[in-house]
Amino acid sequence: MFAIIAAKDLRVLTRDGRLLWAGGLVVMLMLVALAAGWNRQVQLNSERSAGQALDYDAWLHQRHRHPHDAAEQGMHVFKPEPSLAVFDPGIGPFVGSTVWLQAHRQSEVKFRPAQDATGLQRFGELSPAWLLQVLLPLLIIVIGFNSVSDERERGTLRQLISLGATARSLLFGKAAALASCVGILIAPVGLAIAVLIVARLPAGERVDVVYRIAWLAAGYGLYLGFFVFLTLAVSALARSSRAALVLLLGFWVATMLIAPRTASEATNLLYPTPSRLDFDDQLAHDMADAGRKAWSTHFGARTQWDPSVPLSKWGAALKVDDEAGYGALDENFGRLWDTFERQQLAQVWIGLVAPVVALRGYSMGLAGTDFSQHRDFSTAAEAQRRKIQNIVSEDLIEHADRLGNAHFTYKAGPELWASVPQFKYELPSVSFALAHHWASLALLAVMFCLSVALAQYALTRPLMR
Amino acid sequence: MLDAIEVTKQFGAKRALDNVSLSVLPGEIYCLLGANGAGKTTLVNLFLNFLQPTSGTLQIGKLDVVRQPLETKRLLAYIPEQVTLYGVLSGLENLAFFSSLAIGEHLPRQRLLELLEAAGLPRQAADDRVATYSKGMRQKVGIAIALAKNAKALLLDEPTSGLDPSAANEFSELLVKASNDGVTVLTTTHDLFHAKQTGTRIGIMKQGRLVEELRSEEVSHADLEALYLKHMKS
Repeated sequence: MFAIIAAKDLRVLTRDGRLLWAGGLVVMLMLVALAAGWNRQVQLNSERSAGQALDYDAWLHQRHRHPHDAAEQGMHVFKPEPSLAVFDPGIGPFVGSTVWLQAHRQSEVKFRPAQDATGLQRFGELSPAWLLQVLLPLLIIVIGFNSVSDERERGTLRQLISLGATARSLLFGKAAALASCVGILIAPVGLAIAVLIVARLPAGERVDVVYRIAWLAAGYGLYLGFFVFLTLAVSALARSSRAALVLLLGFWVATMLIAPRTASEATNLLYPTPSRLDFDDQLAHDMADAGRKAWSTHFGARTQWDPSVPLSKWGAALKVDDEAGYGALDENFGRLWDTFERQQLAQVWIGLVAPVVALRGYSMGLAGTDFSQHRDFSTAAEAQRRKIQNIVSEDLIEHADRLGNAHFTYKAGPELWASVPQFKYELPSVSFALAHHWASLALLAVMFCLSVALAQYALTRPLMR
Repeated sequence: MLDAIEVTKQFGAKRALDNVSLSVLPGEIYCLLGANGAGKTTLVNLFLNFLQPTSGTLQIGKLDVVRQPLETKRLLAYIPEQVTLYGVLSGLENLAFFSSLAIGEHLPRQRLLELLEAAGLPRQAADDRVATYSKGMRQKVGIAIALAKNAKALLLDEPTSGLDPSAANEFSELLVKASNDGVTVLTTTHDLFHAKQTGTRIGIMKQGRLVEELRSEEVSHADLEALYLKHMKS
């Protein structure tokens, strides 16, 4: 029986101008967003691979020089763009894509597209994910707010019930019709882009991306399903179609525009992060402190780079100094990043009132553009930096320190440069993303079930008020 | 076929039906007369299980309406004062939808056209959107739905209200034809003429009570009018 109701509702909706115009607009925006994302990714990838090759080539072909000079100049590593960033760029535009691996300090990722963005971008980047998260629920509301209320107002609900239509068949019939409308709009575009993304990947990466797409589909399915059933519930509970529309639009504004901002402020209050200045001051203080202790322990010196330490130990001192700083770097960056992750986790729970907050984190995670995967890349980049420092220091100990006061006359050549391996980074697998975002998915599932229960309650109440 | 046994319906402090008992036999057309608020529509709603009685029992074909709602609805067809259909669908599409909902199968187009024709809807109007239909045409689609369902009982709530005399007459003829085919009809109406002309039996309701029951052949138009007015004034 629900299939008969679904088919009728779908026919009525397709003859209604709302679906045609609003749906057409959403599809058009989706295509524009995909084209823009695709173009951005192609450009980024080509710049990244060219930059990575040129930079390493420059490292290999640098002139004979003191290894520490080479380490000071360092090299750049480039964050690979996940293929699903076309769909959800996540925090990418705000955190950049390049790390400068230089001596003595851990660099942050730089070259952030958001720095060049206009103020409009603060409202939300026009990405397919943003459209699905924000505009599609609005479309569901616009086409579905009167699904039940209009039947009641016009009297067709009495007719349906008199013919034996049950609340369950009405609920699932109407839900199927609304879901079909959404499916008709996004499934062809979604399928086409999924095929395009997967087809251009190397065979080894395909399976992981297919899993990611499947999990993304599940998350978005639960999220949009929540809006379908919520819309039906409000339509059944509200006194009139107008009241249903006002209530649903109010919910949309509160959850899409107000809640994410509030969530961000609230979690910042709950888990405060230091200002840039405070962070840098604390890091410098801790590194200096650790350095002083290490110099005292190893060389009996009162300060770092104390002139009493002979040049024959300069390479060893460099190694000691670097290694002393690693603890401070790990502690400070670790604390900061842990705070970011705690903020993210706390935001998931705000998804209980605004599911978009839970979905946003989940979507970024599965697209490979969230903070946890950015942290993974930053950690790998820092490991590469330490590898370079270690190779350089060992080379200085072995060759330059033996020269005593002539330490700085030592010049290394291509053999040393070639002993530094090229930076290779593989994006974490789908299981990494799921391990970080299972709570969001569980929460979306709970919200979906609650909306189904609410809609069922709404439609089984005495309908003939 | 349709039995109300000592039915009372209370809405808060207001008693809409007060210990009403009536029985409509197979093939009978039972016309319920009464002023607005007399409880006629409440009784129809109780038979449809849109409302539940405060006390008493309602049966359709000996099945309890409250305990077996789906089974009793299978025996029924309901035509309200305003037959409500989907304006963006054609008469034929509306009939196809409601009939498939009622009988659980899709009828072929030819059969649907026959049903609309049997209900008196011109064939050329079948594919027009219902938004363009008159009230009478909508009523005919409602009758076609009842015919498609092959219902054993018809519940009608002031079906001729607002119809022009010719359409009302056509409607009455259809009811008589259905009754001759063994269909039981319970209809509420303000139209004494329609009740006398169509009904097998007539009941008069006042303030939630069934105050008079008579066979239509036992009473003339004038007597029925006098009796009705007497009850309304007392």
